[in-house]
Amino acid sequence: MSANSVEVAYRGVRQTSLAKRISRGIVQSARKEGKLGFTFGRYGDSPERVGIPARQFAVIGSSETELQPFMTPYELDNNDVTVVLDDTLCRGTESWAWHGFQPVNRLTRPGGVLLVLSKMSPGELLGFIAQKGAEYNLAVVEGAANWSTLWKYNDDSDFRILGAIARVAPHLISLGSVEQVIVQDWKRGDKIDLARQSYDQVKVRPVGAGEGVKQALPVRSFPKLQEMKEALVVPAVPAGEPVAGGPYRAERNPNYRSHSARTNRPVVDFARCTRCSLCWLQCPDGAFNITPDGFYDIDFEYCNGCGICVAVCPVKGCMTMVPELQSLSPFDNGESRGISELSPFDKGGLRGI
Amino acid sequence: MEQIKGVKTVPLNEYYMSGHRTCQGCEPALAMKLTAKAIGPRSIVLGATGCMYVANTSYYTTPWAIPWMHTQLGAAGSAALGTSAGLKALMRKGKLKEEHINVVAICGDGGGADMGVSAISATLTHPQYDSLIVMYDNESYANTDVQASGSTPWGAVTRFTPSGTVHRITQTRIKKNMVGMLAAGHPGCKYVATVCPSFAVDMMQKIRKAIAIGGPTFVHCLTPCPKGWGFAPDLSHEMGIAAVETGVWPLYEIEDGMVRFNGRSKTIAEGGKREPVGEYTRRQDRFAHFTAEDTAYFQGTIDEMWQNWLVPAVIPLSRAAQ
Amino acid sequence: MVQTTRATTRTELIINGCEAIAHACRLADIDFVTAYPIRPYDGVMEAIARMIANGDLDADYIVADSEHSQFEMAKHASAVGARAFVGSSGVGWLHAYEAIAVTAGLRLPVVAMVGNRALDDPGAFGVEHNDALSVRDLGWMLTWVDSAQEALDTVLIAYRVAEDHGVFLPCAVAVDGAFLTHSEHLVTIPAREQVERFVPRYNRGGFVLHPDNPITIAPQVDENWLMEIRKQSDEAMRRARGVIASAYAEFAPVFGRDLGNPFIEEYMTDDAEVVLVGQGTLSTPVKAGIRQLREGGQKVGFVRLKWLRPFPTEEMQTSLSRFRAVGVIDRDYSFGSPYSGGVLFNEIRSALYPTGGALAPPVIGFTCGLGGREVTLKDVREMSEILLRTGRGGKEQQATYWIGVRA
Repeated sequence: MSANSVEVAYRGVRQTSLAKRISRGIVQSARKEGKLGFTFGRYGDSPERVGIPARQFAVIGSSETELQPFMTPYELDNNDVTVVLDDTLCRGTESWAWHGFQPVNRLTRPGGVLLVLSKMSPGELLGFIAQKGAEYNLAVVEGAANWSTLWKYNDDSDFRILGAIARVAPHLISLGSVEQVIVQDWKRGDKIDLARQSYDQVKVRPVGAGEGVKQALPVRSFPKLQEMKEALVVPAVPAGEPVAGGPYRAERNPNYRSHSARTNRPVVDFARCTRCSLCWLQCPDGAFNITPDGFYDIDFEYCNGCGICVAVCPVKGCMTMVPELQSLSPFDNGESRGISELSPFDKGGLRGI
Repeated sequence: MEQIKGVKTVPLNEYYMSGHRTCQGCEPALAMKLTAKAIGPRSIVLGATGCMYVANTSYYTTPWAIPWMHTQLGAAGSAALGTSAGLKALMRKGKLKEEHINVVAICGDGGGADMGVSAISATLTHPQYDSLIVMYDNESYANTDVQASGSTPWGAVTRFTPSGTVHRITQTRIKKNMVGMLAAGHPGCKYVATVCPSFAVDMMQKIRKAIAIGGPTFVHCLTPCPKGWGFAPDLSHEMGIAAVETGVWPLYEIEDGMVRFNGRSKTIAEGGKREPVGEYTRRQDRFAHFTAEDTAYFQGTIDEMWQNWLVPAVIPLSRAAQ
Repeated sequence: MVQTTRATTRTELIINGCEAIAHACRLADIDFVTAYPIRPYDGVMEAIARMIANGDLDADYIVADSEHSQFEMAKHASAVGARAFVGSSGVGWLHAYEAIAVTAGLRLPVVAMVGNRALDDPGAFGVEHNDALSVRDLGWMLTWVDSAQEALDTVLIAYRVAEDHGVFLPCAVAVDGAFLTHSEHLVTIPAREQVERFVPRYNRGGFVLHPDNPITIAPQVDENWLMEIRKQSDEAMRRARGVIASAYAEFAPVFGRDLGNPFIEEYMTDDAEVVLVGQGTLSTPVKAGIRQLREGGQKVGFVRLKWLRPFPTEEMQTSLSRFRAVGVIDRDYSFGSPYSGGVLFNEIRSALYPTGGALAPPVIGFTCGLGGREVTLKDVREMSEILLRTGRGGKEQQATYWIGVRA
């Protein structure tokens, strides 16, 4: 016998409490069945940054010896269930430098379950999820990504996720155990129906090997000892230079791109843009490129979707935040686009807004 | 360097690039970008431990286009001074090409207002060494997941100052007045200023003044922090504006001992309207436990600062009745 | 504009160990120095200040607000390519410990003087080696000197080795408080042109922090990076052995004085049955004591360890395996260590381990001279007698002894 594990993919800070509650709930539920378990957050994700994808893991087993091999890896592969608390993470995640853009189902075991909190159907979501070389199941619990802060937690997705896990992975925890935890340990008998409903209503779709979006697997290559500069030196980012016949063009850090922090993306109606430059100036991530005709175009590899540009835009209707998965390009692998592609209004408007 | 007069004259070139692991809506990151823009390519930046170290250069990568070096948490002052003196010696001795290199050390409020005060203070006593220390103040040790610093405002919740069922307010300390302290205590320092990245042009102007004036200088930058303060990232810009409009954060500069208020703070200093502090506190979850009395107390401290201080919002002294 | 003196001939001066090091700094034409007062090292900073004030040295001299700031400043000056000198003593050295640690991690060739002093509490001015020993694991080269002349010579060697492109490690030169820092000896001061030949100009190469060389230094890492970074430091320290050896070899041709074996000094060892081993100025009473013992026919020798980091493993094995017993004198403590011995005792026992079994001489530890207490001729006799008994097959009573405690 071996222990089983559940991975919880979430957005840093915004869903930390939720992810921790779910992980603990899994162990507490398993405990009702006489099992042991533990939880941990992926250490490299901390200190967590608002929006940057992060991971929690819950491990359950029948004995201490079963748990031991799971105790010191930084992340676990072959998870029975991967829970996704914000469906925009289905695009993939780039949590750290050098690891590249990683498929959301990378750590889900063959035959395991990718359980997503979403208002979309499994079929629609599959339009964003990378292919996997093995069969697995895609399950959806209806709900939207909820956001808390460090100081205020207001969410009830934990009840629904635990109910859904009991359904899609009954060998881990049963609905009865989940109910016991909710009532006895969490003293939230008022929420027990949420767990039951999601147990009944979770939608599951088997996914064949190779089904999904073609996405190049990240190349996780680190320089070898002799290739690394000594004295802790790394080369700076090139300073950028004027484009021939055009304005200055910024270079960007090639080893880390911040785009997978994005739940919403800004879009610009260039017909309304007055080229005031405030979006460009106030963007903490320097994600705007200046176009030859003086507009400010977003580099979606580096935009992390904070929304400050939209907040500072003085022209009504010029800039809008759009849900990431409902924007024009459903799967954006990070290519920057030109103006004509960027402006949703040129292409007949947006879905879903 | 030319003065930046308005948004249209902001330099296009970036020296702090995209591709850093900062939070969504991170105003300290914006402070880095604006500082780098203002100082330009003939600069050396020293970065003390804090968010702007760990999030920017994680892991083994960098967003910096100009030379950048880590320094220890409390060492921003020493890093600036050691770098400046090293360059000066090499140039004087003909070992390095003579030119003005901007030496800018950057620290957070934990590194600057707590651990590094002694070194910053020492650096400001050396008028012959040019350097600028920029303290980005997100009012907590945010990198370590938000613990109280000497710069955390009264009443704010942090990991070390939670609001409990018995003790509603455990952050009973009063925020340190760094700029007033440094200005009052360092006659050898020609320029100190307060800035906020929400007022980007004002900030870049002051950074340029600070590096042009010569000698050691200090700029204190209030940087709203979605993580530590508990607000949605798209409110970051607005939060900086609210800090200034409520009078919580005065924008001013002290050049050769002369205090000059800027922008909205000038209006306030001349008796103009201040927004109630509730407009600032109610939008931040770190103040979510505030009762009406707490808000009123907070308001009182801001009123006191503007109405009773010897130099309003700058020097917290008043004359005793004779 | 400060005019620097370019002495062309060697001279002899009567100066203390601190001043001898100040002369080495002057001769090495340091660019940056930063001072903070603490006994007994601070004489070096006072001497350097006078040299600058009198135009004998052109360097930027910063009076720091703390040892932490002092070592941070030296580190940053070194990063922009300035030859930096710094120093401290006792708890001052430990106040700078964070900066000391990162200087090694950054591979910056700062040279520092440690004027050895007991750590507080209680406040004490006398020599103990624990302050300097605190850096033995960090990637600092660490050497002990036993004369003012050796202090001067070793600082020149330290800059040459530290700034070698195959090394780039900081170097601490440890000088016993009182006996060296505060007594004046005749010291030969080399000519400036000799030093210029021996110590090339500091060239930080591609690691220099300058706008013409845009780099980021010391980005944050995760578990994917640090093993390689530590291994780089390990290899640099391994290379330092050879660089030290060649520096000593080239010293005599330039300065006309042969410094002998770079790593160890042997005294009356040729026919010795047993030897005492130690560092720093305790060499003088030990040598005197040994001569007395030899008048009574006792064949005792002395081995002085000069470099603790990099540790001369092979040299120590070759030397010490010749004797029937080895007694290590520690002017330090390591409470709770194996056999409750001092740091040096356990280092040397460890170095001798692979020589193995019956061939390895028994090693006895002597804790002696703490807090600046004199190591007397009587102490030397007592230690030697224990050693001789051990060497002649007597059952050793215990592996370690405290010598000179009022019992």
